[in-house]
Amino acid sequence: MAVKFFGQFLVEKGIVSREALLKAIDLQEQKNVKFGEMAVAMGYVTQDDITRAHNAQLSQDIKLGDLLVQTGILTLNQLNEIITRQKNNHLYIGEALILVGALSNEQLQQYLDDFKADQAPYICDRVELPGGIADSEIWEMAADLTYKMITRVLGLPFRAGKCETITTAAANFDMAAMDLSGDVDARFIVSVSQELQKSVAKAILGETSVDEEPPEVLEDTVMEFVNVVCGNIAAKASQAGKIVTITPPVTINPDTAGLAVPDGYAGLCFPILVSEGETMQLLLFVRK
Amino acid sequence: MIKVLVVDDSISVARQLEKIIAESGEFTCVGHAKNGAEAIKMNHSENPDIICMDMNMPGMDGLTALRSLTMLDKDVKVVMVTSLGGVGDKFTEALKLGAKNVISKPFEAGDVLKILRSL
Repeated sequence: MAVKFFGQFLVEKGIVSREALLKAIDLQEQKNVKFGEMAVAMGYVTQDDITRAHNAQLSQDIKLGDLLVQTGILTLNQLNEIITRQKNNHLYIGEALILVGALSNEQLQQYLDDFKADQAPYICDRVELPGGIADSEIWEMAADLTYKMITRVLGLPFRAGKCETITTAAANFDMAAMDLSGDVDARFIVSVSQELQKSVAKAILGETSVDEEPPEVLEDTVMEFVNVVCGNIAAKASQAGKIVTITPPVTINPDTAGLAVPDGYAGLCFPILVSEGETMQLLLFVRK
Repeated sequence: MIKVLVVDDSISVARQLEKIIAESGEFTCVGHAKNGAEAIKMNHSENPDIICMDMNMPGMDGLTALRSLTMLDKDVKVVMVTSLGGVGDKFTEALKLGAKNVISKPFEAGDVLKILRSL
């Protein structure tokens, strides 16, 4: 039911053992050459160049290859050649599982098809964002995945409103937030009105009534929904080679004036239209 | 009955898991720890057969607790229950640290029980 990678799918289904998967991952780690090692092996840079570049990376948020081009050690053509060679020689987890004897060729094809079918509900649909937002492909994916989780986890029918830039987010009954870091810097917030908080709680707790539940349990269900969505955003981002790190969710309580978008961040509001008179929004504060 | 300890800072996830465990008739929940440090204490006091533990928790997180639990008891059976299951590096790290399996959130009762029964 969640975003997965192929090895996890095989272990969860009991198709391969955790020991076999770990053996295959060890093999991948031995065979898959890192960018710097490949650049040295191809004779384009020396080990000293790599060491100096790694030291420079400590004070700059830049990929090794881009840094080597920026400093004139590599040409753009050489960078592309190295990346192509790395991709062409990459040992994928399915191939590694065949090499360690955990799967046959025929089984690999069959299970890849099963995996694609399992993950089909999470193929991203296009979400339109205003121009000029950093890492826009991640935020399009984040909004799309939020919509999909509202359907699959909360079971709520809704219509997605047009995304708008904001400088202040309107206060709402319950606002749960999670900070995202790594290759991105953003705050992800789901804001719900009182009745929608109950709808979230019913779905998360699997109860038909939550009228007797204490406020902290109701708040916790909205935070857990945010946790589930953001964890799956991190998983989807990792498939695209981006690292997204999450922290435990929190509830935020802005005053009636609302929640101001911090300086240096762009504010995006995605209205989620569930029912008349009830408000649900996905808010993203993204570092410019 | 097989004894299960639930470790999650979220009250709602703990309730979901406790319900699945109670309704199975095969497993019984012996407690709920809210972070890794409590999990280590309760593993000692409650002596569970299986620990279902979240990764992303305030205080001591799940992977740090897993490292300690497997160091203290090499036979401990820990299943990570996390929204980060689909992040390949996190999944691999959990297995390398000794987790028996990883359950991704959102989960379904059938998937949870299938994994618990396999241990």
